[in-house]
Amino acid sequence: MYAIRENAGQVCYAMGLKMRYLNLKQQIRDVRMLAIRGIAEAGSGHPGASFSAAEIMGGLYFRKMKHDPLKPHWHERDYFVNSKAHSAPGFFATLAVSGYFPISEMDTLRKLGARLQGHPVRYSKEQEKHSVPGTEYSGGSEGIGLSVSLGIALATRLDGKKNHIFTLIGDGESNEGQIWEAAMAASKFKLANLTAILDRNRIQQDGFTEDIMPLDPVRDKWLAFNWNVVEVNGHKVEQLIEAINKAYEVKDKPTIIIANTIKGYGIKHMTNNPQWHGKAPPKKHIPILLQELQSEFLIAPSIIAGQRENYEEKIRIAERSGADMIHLDVMDGKFVPNITFFADTIRKLRPLTSLPFDVHLMIEDPLEHIQEYIDARCDIVTVHAETCTEDSFSVITSELLKNGISPGIAINPSTNIPSWLYHHLSEIDVIIVMSVNPGSAGQKFIPEVLPKMRTIGQDLREHNFVGYLEADGGIDSMTLRDVYGAGARIMVAGSAVYGSSDINGAMIQLKHTANVALERTLLENASQIGTRSDWLKARKHILIPFASELGIEEEIHAIK
Amino acid sequence: MLLSNERKVADMREAFGQTLVELGTLIANLVCVGADTTDSLKTKKFGDKFPERMFNVGIAEANLVSIAAGLAVAGKIAFASTYAAFLPGRCLDQIRNAICYPNLNVKLVVSHAGLSVGPDGASHQQIEDISTMRAIPNMRVLVPADATSVRHLMRRIVDTSGPFYMRLARPSGKVIYREEDDMFEIGRGNVLRDGKDATIMACGLMVVNALEAADLLERDHGLSCRVVDMFSVKPIDKELIEKCGRETGTIVTIEEHNILGGMGGAVAEVSAELYPVGVKRLGVLDTFGESARDDEIGSLFEKYGLSAMKIVETVLHARRQERK
Repeated sequence: MYAIRENAGQVCYAMGLKMRYLNLKQQIRDVRMLAIRGIAEAGSGHPGASFSAAEIMGGLYFRKMKHDPLKPHWHERDYFVNSKAHSAPGFFATLAVSGYFPISEMDTLRKLGARLQGHPVRYSKEQEKHSVPGTEYSGGSEGIGLSVSLGIALATRLDGKKNHIFTLIGDGESNEGQIWEAAMAASKFKLANLTAILDRNRIQQDGFTEDIMPLDPVRDKWLAFNWNVVEVNGHKVEQLIEAINKAYEVKDKPTIIIANTIKGYGIKHMTNNPQWHGKAPPKKHIPILLQELQSEFLIAPSIIAGQRENYEEKIRIAERSGADMIHLDVMDGKFVPNITFFADTIRKLRPLTSLPFDVHLMIEDPLEHIQEYIDARCDIVTVHAETCTEDSFSVITSELLKNGISPGIAINPSTNIPSWLYHHLSEIDVIIVMSVNPGSAGQKFIPEVLPKMRTIGQDLREHNFVGYLEADGGIDSMTLRDVYGAGARIMVAGSAVYGSSDINGAMIQLKHTANVALERTLLENASQIGTRSDWLKARKHILIPFASELGIEEEIHAIK
Repeated sequence: MLLSNERKVADMREAFGQTLVELGTLIANLVCVGADTTDSLKTKKFGDKFPERMFNVGIAEANLVSIAAGLAVAGKIAFASTYAAFLPGRCLDQIRNAICYPNLNVKLVVSHAGLSVGPDGASHQQIEDISTMRAIPNMRVLVPADATSVRHLMRRIVDTSGPFYMRLARPSGKVIYREEDDMFEIGRGNVLRDGKDATIMACGLMVVNALEAADLLERDHGLSCRVVDMFSVKPIDKELIEKCGRETGTIVTIEEHNILGGMGGAVAEVSAELYPVGVKRLGVLDTFGESARDDEIGSLFEKYGLSAMKIVETVLHARRQERK
């Protein structure tokens, strides 16, 4: 079992969840893209709730739930009841990405004659014109779905079946008394096959939940109703998945996962803003919004940087400073001159954090050692192109995929993408383009790598690569801007973080740099499609802290 | 007619509870949800026999019907029962959205409908339910006249997939049908007595009053009146309404329900469109009821215009109007 530690009421989980982390993130990104496009096309809908629940629904449909899009009525399926049904665009997008209906149909959302109704309709023969397969529940009126889930849970248990029932409820929805009727009944009936997930985004139609109808202390409320309560960050899909695993272990009561989320998460100006509860963005913003969703970046501090050893402390500091992943450089003294650590060290470090482990193998013959890294519960394992043949690489990726680990490939500054890699693009989740020659920390960034990274990025997209480009080597707040511009979305930062006396400040600086690069790209895009002034207006409160670096101070202040 | 002449008295709830057990024995898939009224509704018998198939959710009607919906989602034939004042009174939204919209196999069987609740008074006298229930797409509405009807209709609603609302009265009532009178078809009215001068259409406990009125009209006024048990309020027997209009002229309806939107309203709608004749509706005149002891129920009916005498007066008045 993974180590779990209690921390100020919040449960933290170690990773190694066998979920092909980066691929899952991409699928969830696709959901957000489809949802926002559908809402903009429809001219109405609820972006806020679709986005706050994207990780919840994605984690369930893409990883945890037992279901089959080709057999929506499969008797052994797990049920998903979307009680807070105004998350419909996100829900439909999740079904589309799962394969329940063609993705192109998302553009018919909320239109006359469409199967994708404003609120999902339970699929049946007679409603087949207004519903899509995979929809178990007709939502729209708040507060009912949890009770319906109780009924399903009672019936499947009565039949001796193993189905698990998942129900998504909202915090605004929790104003409804019926939620608490259901809460009482579910613990009376000891429905361990029922897991509710609360999308705790703290916003409802009229404003903030704690102003409209305070729900806190929500954890205590559910504990008092005798439920098993787990609290997670609802945008950390790894925490959600571990929480579901914990729910499966409880045999005598239902579980509620309180997923602390942010309404509108994914599009900055919609974030945590009650205005975006139920409003559609203008159609002309779609290309920029889609670009923003594709521009999410992850910062992965490399723990071999700075003072040698003391990896435990470095990991703790990284987590506290808001790192997205931990980058672990394995060096064997053969492929590269230095020796760092091997799988046994990673295994020891694994329980320290909930952050994904991004493991970069700079070793000869990675195939021989791959099982050790699988056993060490890495989340991403990248091997060097220089150390593989197509055959060995294909065995490595298939082993990694079989174990739910995101496979990656790395190339040195002087190496090009091997031609055989084009046959394997759908199997890999990340490509590291080294911007120093690997082997030690603290080297200087090689600027010639930038055009190479840009070309590789474009070339791979043309070959339908949907994974991440990762920049590794000499990344600081100056070079980060350049690699971001060249298409990198995972940034390995070593000395820039651990070489600093103020690690927290260094992380903030790196994120700020990436955000400036992001805003610049989006603004350029807006100018190109002729919506610059409109975009500035919609984005004003986000752009103010970036105004001087973007050179838009006057423009911003001119907006009324 | 194949009708019982003895006019024994029997309890609809007993018939419901007993039939539920019989059907539960035959159909393993049948489950029942109750809301702290299982003793009164007689669903407790089912719970005693099949404890694992009975779920008591306490005083929580929204939860009651929604859990029934979930049971139906997972393939069960789900009965949900409590007092009519609260089902549908307290869970209209859940019935509409969780049961009727997805057209689930849920059977809502309620008791204590109408004024005949008696002592509990107006808070418990549900007189709007026929109107609200029949306005929801996919819902079917049945108002049985006696215990025998309940037994027959229970079998029909279990055999017919989809949502049903069946309303029972609290007090025991006179038995009209014999056990072998299996003449119940959803969407058909039962002609209990033929006649040519007027038709009296009734449902629930008012069927007995309609039969009594027809006797009085024949004895005292020489009129032959047709009596129809309109137990199936939705779907309603349009063909029969048209036929009665054509053959007897005047139609008088009577029900233990608000005059607005009930069975009489349904009959008037059909009659106006298919074969307009004078339709006179009897029911509670858009007002709330009041308490009455069990031995005063007859007087309560009289006070609110639901007696056999009122039917007689109305038929005579309608015929006078028709001649003008």
